[in-house]
Amino acid sequence: MTIGTYVLALILGVMFGFALNKAGLTRYTKIVNQFRLTDMAVLKFMMTALVVTMLGVYPLHEMGIITFPTIPATYVVGNLVGGLIFGVGMALAGFCPGTAVAGGGEGKWDYIVPGLLGFLTGAVIFGLSYDSFMPKILSIANFGNKTIPELWGVNAYLAIFVFTLLALALFYAIDRLGLQRKSK
Amino acid sequence: MSWLKKQISKELWSPYAAGVLLGIVGILTVTLANKLLGASGGFENIAAYIGKAISPSNTYFNYIMPAGITYPVILLVGIFFGGMLGALSSGTFKFRTMDDEQWKTAYGNQKWKRWLLLFIGGIIVEFAAGIAGGCTSGLAISGGMLLAPAAFLFIAGMFASGIVTALIVYGKKY
Repeated sequence: MTIGTYVLALILGVMFGFALNKAGLTRYTKIVNQFRLTDMAVLKFMMTALVVTMLGVYPLHEMGIITFPTIPATYVVGNLVGGLIFGVGMALAGFCPGTAVAGGGEGKWDYIVPGLLGFLTGAVIFGLSYDSFMPKILSIANFGNKTIPELWGVNAYLAIFVFTLLALALFYAIDRLGLQRKSK
Repeated sequence: MSWLKKQISKELWSPYAAGVLLGIVGILTVTLANKLLGASGGFENIAAYIGKAISPSNTYFNYIMPAGITYPVILLVGIFFGGMLGALSSGTFKFRTMDDEQWKTAYGNQKWKRWLLLFIGGIIVEFAAGIAGGCTSGLAISGGMLLAPAAFLFIAGMFASGIVTALIVYGKKY
């Protein structure tokens, strides 16, 4: 990596951590209350980011301004089971790797010490046990590094339009129709 | 200008405003670096130093996520300082422990218990991110923006089990 790449990664990371701080996602309460459905901030934050990024990267790609980096691979069992296990840890601890690091930057020793040590330990365990189960998981229903438009011939803009409508409908239902549980 | 400064220095933004900022960061990451945002990958690159010391011929840490001060690692350093900058801007930066009231209601006041649970939670989350191929940022947001099916499978799994886990932890207080 060149110095320029380092500086760029650092700046992008700072902006990312700043957004996580301002959204309040660096707090246990915000994360767990999303799973209790009494505070929808995580969902609003994630879906807004998704809509904005989709509306940005697809047109930029079409105009030839950007190329897509490697698309995250779809292997149904791994993505789904990984997500299921991930949700357990996230609801228990009230953080995920990004929010814990940003929270550490706010001065939370609870995130800096046991949090980061937990991530490192989890990564070591995963890497060392990779050969024993991941090849099997990767071999089931693996669609490769492809997007929904590439796989199923759906028009990308139609998919983005549908997702945007879904997000707006959800925001409307939460903010105007009260689709949210009351906290006890 | 002072209005803008006041808005920026607020401790909490509307999640929509913060989401737009994250979206812009996501677009910039692809445009300027031809990379994706992510957090769990950086931990794997650091863990590789330990993993290779334990098992020098290990496949994962030699060929898939090798040790190094890689792009995701620098991104993590940035995220740390970004959280710091956010807290400084609202005057909430402070070295502290046990700062969450609701945590105490859910699990009690003991610090050792919080540290143990965060350690275990950290292991679970990072291990799961390995299986899924990324975490909330590297897979859910980054994969989702590119319309990768993986992202939506991950998000569905994460919300389903997160809700069930919170239901179990909170019981009658859910």
